Amino acid sequence: MTDLSNDKAVQAVKNTKVQKKDEFFVVDSPLNEPVTETHAADMIPEKNVTQEMLTGSGSNADAWLMYGGGYKQQRHTTADVITPENVGDLSLDWLFQTGTGSGELEGSPVIVPGDPPVMYQTNGPNHVKALNARNGDVFWSYTYSNPNNIRPCCGLNNRGVAVYQDKVYMTTLDANLVALDRYTGEQQWQYNSAEPSEGYANTEAPVVYNDMVIMGSGGGEFGVRGYVDAVDPESGEQMWRRWTVPEDQWIGESWQNGCSTVWMTPSIDTDSDTIYAPTGNPGPDVWAGVRPGLNPYSNGTLALDANSGEPQWHYNESPHDWWDYDSPSPPVLFDAEVNGEERRLTMSAGKVGWVFTMDAGNGQLVERSEPFAQMLNTFDLPPAELEDSPWIMPSADGGSEWNPASYDPNSQTVFVKAMNYPSKFQWDREEYETGRLYLGGGFTIAPEMDDVEYPPEEEWNRNLGVITALDPISGEVKWQDWYDEFTMGGSMTTATGLVFAGNGSGEFIAYDVESGERLWQFNLGASINASPVSWYDPGTEKQYVAIQAGGGGLRSHKTGDAVAVFSMEA
Amino acid sequence: MAVLCRLPVSLSDQDCYTFGMEDSNRQGVTIGEEERRDFLKLLGITGSIGAASQFSLSDVRNALGSGTSSELAAMGEAIRSDLTGAVDADVLASSMSGVATAVDSLPAVRSAGFPAEDATPYQELTAPAWEAYRHLSDIGFFASAEEHLPAYTSEGLATTTQELVRAEPLTSTLTDAGFSEEEITATVASVTSQQELLKHWVPASDLPTDVSEFDPANVGPLHQRAAGGALLWIDGLDDHLWRNKVLITDEIHDRGIEHTKTMLGGLHLMTAAAHDIAGPGEFEDAHLAAGLAGGAAIMIAGQENMAADVYRITDDMRADGGL
Repeated sequence: MTDLSNDKAVQAVKNTKVQKKDEFFVVDSPLNEPVTETHAADMIPEKNVTQEMLTGSGSNADAWLMYGGGYKQQRHTTADVITPENVGDLSLDWLFQTGTGSGELEGSPVIVPGDPPVMYQTNGPNHVKALNARNGDVFWSYTYSNPNNIRPCCGLNNRGVAVYQDKVYMTTLDANLVALDRYTGEQQWQYNSAEPSEGYANTEAPVVYNDMVIMGSGGGEFGVRGYVDAVDPESGEQMWRRWTVPEDQWIGESWQNGCSTVWMTPSIDTDSDTIYAPTGNPGPDVWAGVRPGLNPYSNGTLALDANSGEPQWHYNESPHDWWDYDSPSPPVLFDAEVNGEERRLTMSAGKVGWVFTMDAGNGQLVERSEPFAQMLNTFDLPPAELEDSPWIMPSADGGSEWNPASYDPNSQTVFVKAMNYPSKFQWDREEYETGRLYLGGGFTIAPEMDDVEYPPEEEWNRNLGVITALDPISGEVKWQDWYDEFTMGGSMTTATGLVFAGNGSGEFIAYDVESGERLWQFNLGASINASPVSWYDPGTEKQYVAIQAGGGGLRSHKTGDAVAVFSMEA
Repeated sequence: MAVLCRLPVSLSDQDCYTFGMEDSNRQGVTIGEEERRDFLKLLGITGSIGAASQFSLSDVRNALGSGTSSELAAMGEAIRSDLTGAVDADVLASSMSGVATAVDSLPAVRSAGFPAEDATPYQELTAPAWEAYRHLSDIGFFASAEEHLPAYTSEGLATTTQELVRAEPLTSTLTDAGFSEEEITATVASVTSQQELLKHWVPASDLPTDVSEFDPANVGPLHQRAAGGALLWIDGLDDHLWRNKVLITDEIHDRGIEHTKTMLGGLHLMTAAAHDIAGPGEFEDAHLAAGLAGGAAIMIAGQENMAADVYRITDDMRADGGL
């Protein structure tokens, strides 16, 4: 393994002091400019990533070229070495410690095929490494220079990069986009998308499509106005912007603080040139009285023309929301037969706790699933005082938070990881204290409350997390596996009938997609709040599965700094 | 039959207004016993006024007596003073006529079933109402109303509702808009079902300042939010009913019509009161204030009911089976 003790980019992260002060992160960074450390950059095969490679990523067993595996974000590998029959023999190939400190590992690595394949791995705050995907040797590392007083609401994570041609793209905590030379790690340009002083931030992985880098922003707790940007991948110039709060459908000037941010990676239908953006809560989070109406385009899926950004349709999972029921989980595109007709569909598993399956062309609902987590007093409006609130499930955390779902096309099954505990909500005209987060009201979650009477166990089973397998056409739940601890991050399916997922206890598990039986598991000792990826390496004739274990983010049971890669020979 | 319930919604709740679809362009309305009691309690009437089945606004008016609120009268006078000369009577008269036509066409809209993709039958209903809304916004009507009218505290709501009951010349204009006597009673009483929720709706001037999450200056005046929000919810039915056809029951669909009618009634009251400023001068100042504040309260209650009964569809409410 590469010696990182003198790696300037790693040291920069380690020497960055991050203090959570109220709802802000006060960052004391040793950097005034970004830093790159080179170890063995000349080992990276100089073969550019083309649009054709990106388009084929979802079906290329040798690659994982974007956050969701492919544009449809099914998180499905066609590699077929690991099967239900042999997964019991899956073994740890290499384990890499980021060296940057504990926590903030919510990402999904990108794998560019070659000899050797290159893994682009990120962790917070805004640190990237190019690794030899065969053994974890570091080719280069990079740390972005974030300013002080940035305001990411829920942690300093980064969920991954996009790659195209000779560049790597990463969004930053101060709501920018940077392009790095994929072979050297040197920063090429920076696109300033929005002002962090206004509350904008970013932790999502961008996606590149047809010579555009597509990105949104965070900031939904700070009254920003959400948007989707298309950026020129070569120059860093903005190509178009689509605001996600339409002025004419909000009253007064409330659209200016309407949030509805796109803070997770959009999916793209390359056949119809349509972007499917997952949208977040309207602002303010839990005081809807100041923003009457349905509050488009919040809390759902927003379909945009990829060439112009023009809205095509929108589905809202929680109109005029009071409960912070974002829908950040990336939409999943798939084809399936509905009443004898083959159709292109998209599905969304948001914080409100159902999977919504829609026609990809017009957004009409085809089916809403059974709940994938427990529900209790759902949609009860917040009273003025917290003590008057009933227990409400999903909680303000969801449901499925940003957790990306995965899909197995062979068994027509979607897998959703979700939180499972109640909240209490309140609205009130609380006194505002300068510099504090202001939600218009407030909420709390059961696991953070002592000396309260929880709902009876028949209403809340006391499990904090769950993975659910369900049929997105019939909406029926096939199986569930309940977890003791908070559960964030996503899952991944294989062509051979497996689904991989981690949980807050550190268990990395391979399930049989049909039965839900645990066929293999490995405890990594830290919460798995990240999402697995897989690839086949013709050079070693192995299929690999990678997962980050380090916790981080909104709810984290145990932190760490591991990137674990398992393999099996063909 | 369909029901309009108090929140939290329970389909088996016995404390519900009951509507029956009729062949004519009106819908029968009765008020449940608990709503009747709540309404009378809000108004401070302790005596018995008939059974719910015969409950009417004129009975309540008689029980209230002929007094008037000097406080509301002063508010009405102030608003009249602010806006005299600014209100275009023709725009508002045309709008009220259009609202009446919209109310008249509601049964046909319902009978037509689900809107087709991209069809706009509900947006067509609100087009005349938006004309009034835009005019009132342009002349500063909503800002004036918020400046002078009471917030929806328990006391403010009671005073407003009492005066609205007394404002017979004003409420009777709902007859012209296609409301039956029973519907007028139920419409006025609908504010009772949402007293707690009305407290969520505070004047923009009462919002905390220097908040990082939103700029209070961007929040519309309370009565603008009431009117504009009501129209947005109605407009949204075109898309909502089509897009969520798989979830929509007849009952949900019926409620959408009923809440639409209630909100159009609230808007009509507000518009009629504003129209009076332009010239007729037929309404007492206290009735003017009550019409504006009460009309807005009806629209807010309608929004909350619409959201709960039509848009936020739980598994208990939804239709079975996908497309």
